[in-house]
Amino acid sequence: MRTSVRIAFLAGLLALAANLAIIGFIHLQTYDQSESTLRRQVTQQAHVLAYIYRSGGLPALQSAIDEPVDPEDPEVAAALIDPSGRVVYGNFVYLPAPGETFGEGYRSGLVRLQDETAAHEAGVYFQRLPRGRWIASARIAGEGLALRETLERSLLVGVALSLLLGIACGVLVARYVGLRVRSISEVAARIGGGDMDQRIPVRQSGDAFETLARQINAMLDRIGRLMDELRMLTDTLAHDLRSPVGRLRSAADAALVATSREELDQLFGKIIQESDSLMRILTTILEIGRTESFAGRNQFTSFDAADLGAELAEMYEPLGEEDGASVKFEKSGMDFDFRGHRQLLAQALSNLIENAFNYAALGGPITVFVKRNRDRLQMGVADRGPGIPADQREQACSRFGRLDSSRSRGGAGLGLTLVRSIAHLHNGELVLDDAGPGLIAMLDLPVRHD
Amino acid sequence: MGRKILLVEDDRETAGYLVRGLTQEGHSVEHVTDGQEGLFRASGGTFDLIILDRMLPVLDGLAVLRALRAANIATPVLILSALATVGDRIDGLDGGSDDYLVKPFSFAELLARANALFRRSDARPSADPKITVADMEIDPLARVVRRGDKKIDLKPREYLLLEYFARNAGKVVTRTMLLEQVWDYHFDPGTNVIDVHVSRLRRKLEEGFDRPLLHTVRGAGYMLSG
Repeated sequence: MRTSVRIAFLAGLLALAANLAIIGFIHLQTYDQSESTLRRQVTQQAHVLAYIYRSGGLPALQSAIDEPVDPEDPEVAAALIDPSGRVVYGNFVYLPAPGETFGEGYRSGLVRLQDETAAHEAGVYFQRLPRGRWIASARIAGEGLALRETLERSLLVGVALSLLLGIACGVLVARYVGLRVRSISEVAARIGGGDMDQRIPVRQSGDAFETLARQINAMLDRIGRLMDELRMLTDTLAHDLRSPVGRLRSAADAALVATSREELDQLFGKIIQESDSLMRILTTILEIGRTESFAGRNQFTSFDAADLGAELAEMYEPLGEEDGASVKFEKSGMDFDFRGHRQLLAQALSNLIENAFNYAALGGPITVFVKRNRDRLQMGVADRGPGIPADQREQACSRFGRLDSSRSRGGAGLGLTLVRSIAHLHNGELVLDDAGPGLIAMLDLPVRHD
Repeated sequence: MGRKILLVEDDRETAGYLVRGLTQEGHSVEHVTDGQEGLFRASGGTFDLIILDRMLPVLDGLAVLRALRAANIATPVLILSALATVGDRIDGLDGGSDDYLVKPFSFAELLARANALFRRSDARPSADPKITVADMEIDPLARVVRRGDKKIDLKPREYLLLEYFARNAGKVVTRTMLLEQVWDYHFDPGTNVIDVHVSRLRRKLEEGFDRPLLHTVRGAGYMLSG
């Protein structure tokens, strides 16, 4: 409520400022320089005549009135007025407005000159003399003095009116904004209370409020999806960790009742192996989290990516010999130093190579490649296995996203997720593509020139 | 030969297990539980090895390490940590430690790494750089390997693997030590790729000879000995 009062006040203030600016402009345009001259002249003239009267008495004043100093200026008029308001001597009569009282000082009003019947607008100065008499000095003003005065009065009224209107507008705007904001804040409060399904009603108003409502709703949708994903993730994690823990437990159970030293050794070996694979899953989850928060960027170094690819191909080559699959290395494009996280990229490439062994080997060659393609570095693995259908590639990269066809093979389905997060760490992407036949899995990374 | 080891570890259970194991191996172990005390003891420079937990009360492990290195104390430091990601390991090694071991670890792994660190600080440059293990002679300058009268042809990586084994002859070397020291990778491969390299090297070393050189140590790793 205080906010709407503030908005109303602000709107009123702004309206006032705008109107004052307009009025100031009009005033400046219409203000006549001659008015201040007129005022100065009649004031001076009154002072001079008062001096003459005081020093020379009525005769001196009479001659001063009859024989003006400047004969070129016929508009000079003066009068000596007695306390009752009657003109004792002078060449004009002041015509007071109804109810107007006398007082010393300048005013504008109507006068009638001697020997004339029409009234003129004039600036008049009254100066008090001893014994209740007055000296009045007048000059006929040009056209428009009254008009200007009317204008100024109406401008003043306009200012007051605009202030009121401004406040009224402000109140209206404040009420409108308040209503629209309240509908948003009510929904926000309900969501804060835990009801994530609430959405802000969208009015087809085409204004900023509609945009805001749509944006907030889109944000809520995204948060909702992330929360679902997270929930599913923890469910899957808990579920997937149950099986290695279960195997661990049954090995320990069996060890308790083992009868021979040999059997016992074998079971302990199995327990250690299962613990290691559990640890590996947990480390990979931590690694993904760390990589996704871009924590490794301070460990970027410059290195030759082709060397890294060749090194890993060489490392896995004997494994291929055992499995009956050959590992080849290919590079294309010129040699250059790439800036990135060498250890994590090695891990990413090693994951891709191991995937190729696990899912696609069966005798086909595995090609490790590093390509420089203009401003992109592409490093990855091509195999001759069954590949992944285009519509399942996204699922293959997601956390625990094992395809049904691979569920029986063990592993937690985190490998490609880690590779993808390593690609993101380098502002790149993990690309899965058809090798026709087989699968191409590669990191497509921008080469930076800084 | 017993060594003097400083163990800085606040976890009672891990510390007890390490003190027992290392004492059984004939080493004398001094155990403190916080970083400040650890730094105080270590700054005498009288230990052969410092085993330093990374997360410690009062002063954390990396701060202790930095302070030691700044004071020119070159005692080998092995960091123990529950922080397991590749980035954490690199941070630890960049901080001036000689080795980094992730919890949970097997005692065999810790012992193998401690022995490698002892050996490294013992190594004196000698007039004859050749390494001899039983009837095998390795010339690190020429990168030539002979066994008896037979010259053994090795690929560059196989040679590096053998040299690492030879420099740690008679001691257990684990798979992760090989991956870190010979390949300089700090991740855990999901396959037995290291074993395949070792068995390939073994075939080359032992083909035509009766006496085995490269032994498998169950539950720990490998050992090169006569």
